[in-house]
Amino acid sequence: MDMILPLAKTGAISSSMNLWLALPIGFIFGFALFHAGFTDSRRIAWAFYFKDVGVPVVMFSAIATGMLGLWGMSLIGVIDISLVYMLPTYLLPMAIGGLIFGLGMVIGGYCPGTAAASIATGKVDAMVFIVGFLIGSMVFADFFPVWGDFYNSDYMGAFRLDQWLGIGLGPTVLIIVLIAVGGTLTMRFVQNKVWPSTEEDPQKDRITKMQGALIAVAVVIGIVFAFFPTESFIDDSVEVPYYIIEKTTVSQAVSDTLPLVTVAASGNDA
Amino acid sequence: MKFADRWPPVPAGILIGISMLLAFAVAGRGIGASGAMTRFVAWVQHGLFPIATEQSVYFGKYFADGAHPLNDYVSFLVAGLLVGSFVAAWLAGELRVEVLRGPRSSVAYRLVLALGGGVLAGFSARLARGCTSGQGLVGGAELSVGAWVFLMCIFAGGWMGAWFVRKQWI
Repeated sequence: MDMILPLAKTGAISSSMNLWLALPIGFIFGFALFHAGFTDSRRIAWAFYFKDVGVPVVMFSAIATGMLGLWGMSLIGVIDISLVYMLPTYLLPMAIGGLIFGLGMVIGGYCPGTAAASIATGKVDAMVFIVGFLIGSMVFADFFPVWGDFYNSDYMGAFRLDQWLGIGLGPTVLIIVLIAVGGTLTMRFVQNKVWPSTEEDPQKDRITKMQGALIAVAVVIGIVFAFFPTESFIDDSVEVPYYIIEKTTVSQAVSDTLPLVTVAASGNDA
Repeated sequence: MKFADRWPPVPAGILIGISMLLAFAVAGRGIGASGAMTRFVAWVQHGLFPIATEQSVYFGKYFADGAHPLNDYVSFLVAGLLVGSFVAAWLAGELRVEVLRGPRSSVAYRLVLALGGGVLAGFSARLARGCTSGQGLVGGAELSVGAWVFLMCIFAGGWMGAWFVRKQWI
């Protein structure tokens, strides 16, 4: 069976066409970031005080959509999942990076994508944040030998949650959907407890029904996925040469020991 | 309602997810923003110190074989992102030059913290090989263990720091 997706990797479109098509994809991304309220640093920061939990709800919705869509396209056989770049896991650097990143977000009020989107709407604090972000990136790059070994440590390949849990991919997708729904409801509950709303929104019922219907669709798709074995989504027995490991010259000894191609199925021994 | 022109979070998140799906289907990779920032800073530094930047262990790869650091997928993506956000804000009548901050925060306090937070986020996005979108959302959809750990640590770090900067926001 000839699968045509992803277009750029099956040769359906040229690499320069792929670059040009990134413009409309970025346009949709930026358009959605504005309507998510992510161009307002206060709304992003308020998530950490439970004053406005829109940020995690948007993130749950985006992840659920991407997850159901990606694995769904693989399930029905329109995308060759072995050609999709799977992000590799470097556990400890990502954990430490996440902690510092979260601090940066609550202090700075943005992350890079939201700050870029906010700059386009004229917000000065976003411009200053990006200046800081560029400085931070430059410090990391120019002093790379200092933390290069740590950066490349704790490598686990493209290691998925279902492999870590030792269960099927389909049930894992359902669990994530349920966590997203549960997390959304919990955060809403906490927000209403800590910051009770003073103003009545006349559209509240309509919005709640609409969002509830969208969430119900996601849960139904997740339940359907749970009945399929992992092999229906991805063939873990095939060695995939698309796990791109960032090379480093400073810690060549480290990267030489890292396998450039990893069999994802070997990751069960977490 | 103050943000009446904004969408409710679920449909807004779904549209972000759709942009991610389009990138999967067209390019075979996800969306992201921090990569473009790194390439931009490499380009600026190359303008000032060309030889040192090309020999840099981290930036050097962007200049291999005479390549231009900005000629990459992530740069086009961010260019589209800027236009998309601009158009959305323009249609909503929210294009405004201002400093967003909480009611108890001065402009100077807000901008100093914006700079400091940016430095922390810029450094740690490189350490974690991506930011909220490129590592968190895309990796989350791909069920990557590292991405989910990254996401949970973002919220842990944010909650740890929230008390110290509360005057900035609430």
